Amino acid sequence: MSLNVAKVLTCIQCGKCTGSCPESGKTPFNIRMIVRKQQFQREVEETIPWYCTSCGACTLRCPRDVKPSEVIVDIRSAFVEDGQVPASLQKALENTAVQRNPWGRSRGKRGAWAEKLDIEVPHVSETESKRLLFACCIQAYDPRCMVIPANVARILSRGGYEFGILGEEEACCGNEIRRIGEAGLFEELMEENTAIFQEYGVKEIIALSPHCMNTLKKEYGNLGIKVSHYSEIVAAMLKDGVIKPALAYDKKVIYHDPCFLGKQNNIFDEPRSILGAIDGLELLEFARLRETSLCCEGGGGRMFYEAEGTQERNSEVRVAEAIEKGADVIATSCPFCLMTLEDPATEKGIVVKELSEILMEVL
Amino acid sequence: MSYGLIVGEVRRGQFEERNLDSIGLCNLLGQESVLLVPQGDYAIKENCTDAIVKVAVDESIFLNPLDMVNILSRVFDARGKAGAVIFTSSSSGGELAAYAAGHFDMPLITDVSGFEKGQNIFYKSYFSDKIFGEFKPAGGEPPVLTVRSGSFKDAAGEKASPAVVEAMDGVPAGGARSFVEYVEEEKGEVDITKADFLLSVGRGIGNKDEISDYEELADLLKAVLSGSRPVIDKQWLPKPRQVGTSGKTVKPKVYLAMAISGAFQHIAGMKDSDCIIAVNKNAEAPIFQHAHYGVIGDANKLRDKLKDMLKG
Amino acid sequence: MNLLVFTKRVPATQEEEVRIVDDGKRVDLSKVPFKLNDWDNYAVEEAVRIVEKSGGSVTAISIGDAESDEVLRRAIAMGAQDGFLIEVVQEQQDPNARATLAHNFVRKEVLPFDAIFTGVQSEDDQFASVGGILAAKLGLPFVSMVIGIDAFEAGHATVRRELEGGLQERVKVNLPAVFAIQSGINEPRYVSIMGIRKASKVERKVFKAGDYQDGVANKIDVEKWIYPPSKGGATMLTGDADSICKELLGILKEKGVYQ
Repeated sequence: MSLNVAKVLTCIQCGKCTGSCPESGKTPFNIRMIVRKQQFQREVEETIPWYCTSCGACTLRCPRDVKPSEVIVDIRSAFVEDGQVPASLQKALENTAVQRNPWGRSRGKRGAWAEKLDIEVPHVSETESKRLLFACCIQAYDPRCMVIPANVARILSRGGYEFGILGEEEACCGNEIRRIGEAGLFEELMEENTAIFQEYGVKEIIALSPHCMNTLKKEYGNLGIKVSHYSEIVAAMLKDGVIKPALAYDKKVIYHDPCFLGKQNNIFDEPRSILGAIDGLELLEFARLRETSLCCEGGGGRMFYEAEGTQERNSEVRVAEAIEKGADVIATSCPFCLMTLEDPATEKGIVVKELSEILMEVL
Repeated sequence: MSYGLIVGEVRRGQFEERNLDSIGLCNLLGQESVLLVPQGDYAIKENCTDAIVKVAVDESIFLNPLDMVNILSRVFDARGKAGAVIFTSSSSGGELAAYAAGHFDMPLITDVSGFEKGQNIFYKSYFSDKIFGEFKPAGGEPPVLTVRSGSFKDAAGEKASPAVVEAMDGVPAGGARSFVEYVEEEKGEVDITKADFLLSVGRGIGNKDEISDYEELADLLKAVLSGSRPVIDKQWLPKPRQVGTSGKTVKPKVYLAMAISGAFQHIAGMKDSDCIIAVNKNAEAPIFQHAHYGVIGDANKLRDKLKDMLKG
Repeated sequence: MNLLVFTKRVPATQEEEVRIVDDGKRVDLSKVPFKLNDWDNYAVEEAVRIVEKSGGSVTAISIGDAESDEVLRRAIAMGAQDGFLIEVVQEQQDPNARATLAHNFVRKEVLPFDAIFTGVQSEDDQFASVGGILAAKLGLPFVSMVIGIDAFEAGHATVRRELEGGLQERVKVNLPAVFAIQSGINEPRYVSIMGIRKASKVERKVFKAGDYQDGVANKIDVEKWIYPPSKGGATMLTGDADSICKELLGILKEKGVYQ
């Protein structure tokens, strides 16, 4: 078992991790206790590690650099090598091995979102800037999310910001794969994508999902490629007046910080400045905002796994908070947040929109 | 002239309805139809085929592939080799057909869903019906066939006169394989991935009170009740019944989706079902793009109508 | 317990468009990814579990091109001791030909076995017949649609077969015998990429299909491949509630789920 033993031994059991964990209290998942067990090399029960959403709050707040999120990945890796993976996660991993996306959709159709657009979307090799728009699996295939790359493509195009895509040559970034514990598969994906980036001389990557951005930026090694989230680019375009909202958006919009964009990568202001640039839009804030944003429970493999015995989902809590604040719209900048928030939101009659959807309505 | 031998499927004293497809294909082959059946007290239409051979064995021996080949040898000895040996495409039909084809060294085409008489072509699906192959037994040899249920029953028709019934001596049970007993499905913690027929409900049914009526319908249809994620979230159904990416992936013969819109994550959990029937008020519901059959209408009302029909 | 498991590498066509080319003579699978036949995964898992409980070994055998080594590595990663590849030059669709080849191999190589497992069917051709034909040629008992193994002992086994509508039948069978394993019999363990890499260290023996051709011939020919008439989405049932219900029940009867 490859375990970061040195790290767990620095833990002083202060409990800040459990205190910030979105799963603690309402599930049997107790990260402090898990680290304790690791200190004594005691077994962790096989259903426990799969609750973690990889939000990173524990790692951020730990005063001793234990990196509890990584402890979870280590435990999961051991289960993976042992073959003990919940069935729905197995399917996601097997799908990724075959079709390079966890939904098992045809790799050949990964570029389909760009086909019937009103603008030309070139292959990155055909661009001068060698700027790659990394589509992301769920945004390439899920009908609800496919609007996002389409919107962003249009917005960048309007701003004269050259970019290209990889289409079917793009493989899953592997962010969730690594967090599920399939290190071997993550390595394969990373090598594949890296080779493709090198083949086409990619100089810059614009990620549409904070999850993709996270791993491409921090876990792919020294790519020598600048990686940003599209909100950073678009915020700059708005600031510089390259694009200008023409219409007003007379709604109360509350912004939900995605974990992988916000607390893990410190991108809080750019999405807010995008919303702030729109006339008539009243920007509201959750009480738990920015670094303390409430995790939607979409990460860490949770899009493919239903944890047993949970009571209310955080997404339901979040929607209730938004309604309490008087919001008309919940805005977010992550496709997983979008998907997990939308179900309970639809129940309660409030709308969830991705940033690009709001922008497209006013540009 | 050669004859077509239809190996009838009789189980638990029931002459299975899918035998009609075997009879239908035999008629299309234009050969004399001879129906082979075990002894027993079950109903067959007397005009169904030209001849009926009743073998003096219980259905359990008749359904045993090791014994079936001995029965077939007897038939071939008595009547000469058949021009075609036709089985149903079912759990036992498929098992018997493969063993018989291997034993008698005959060409085998399974899951035949079409026949072109002029060219003697049998249609067989590949890649779950994505394409079909036009198959012919090599050298015009008599084939063993299994017939997809529903494909030829319209050709079963009726003969002008009752079948000539012939009794045939039985064969002793070989013993290397023997039937022990039937095992009924356990009630209790249900595993929806093992169900042949799922009746699945979505958010659109409205509220928890509607569930008991769906349970009743499921019972009448011998279907297993399942649901989409919102239904489980609201605790209208327990977690083991959830179909979808974060629930279970199912591949039943029939998936009857009532008031399910067809969100991506749900579709991913059931899109490989053999037959998807969707009922939804909204004609634009994405589920219709994945369904084989669709009904635009109120699921609850359809449920009630079905219940009345089944009970009355 | 010595178990032989036949495993097949198949195209993953569920999400793909299958292209018919050369005027219907050929199917173009060049852009389709390949994977282990789902049913064989269950078969390997079941075999490994039996051997884990009662000792012995599992030998995975694959009839296919050189790439089929992939499924042997997977089987080894799951717990099989050996992997044998019967390398074919040209793919043989006819289940009779494949089963005869398998029979010749097992006999010529004098492989010892208590049982042979196959999957009920393969995802591509779905003939669901190799197991049965193989059993007949070997002169062995055959059980297909095995959804549960109640007992597996020296000389005999008691298994359950999946019938229609949730019903099962229990049968007793002498060993050695051939079993076609149904999906859902177990929950296969996950096989990690690193696990498959480790499995590469175990030697997989390669045999040439040409050495076992006695009596191997296509007994069926495909004249042409065609697309089914395009349905363009769901067949909508229309009419009044009564007629819709009747049609619905008719469909259920046809599919064999309702009598």
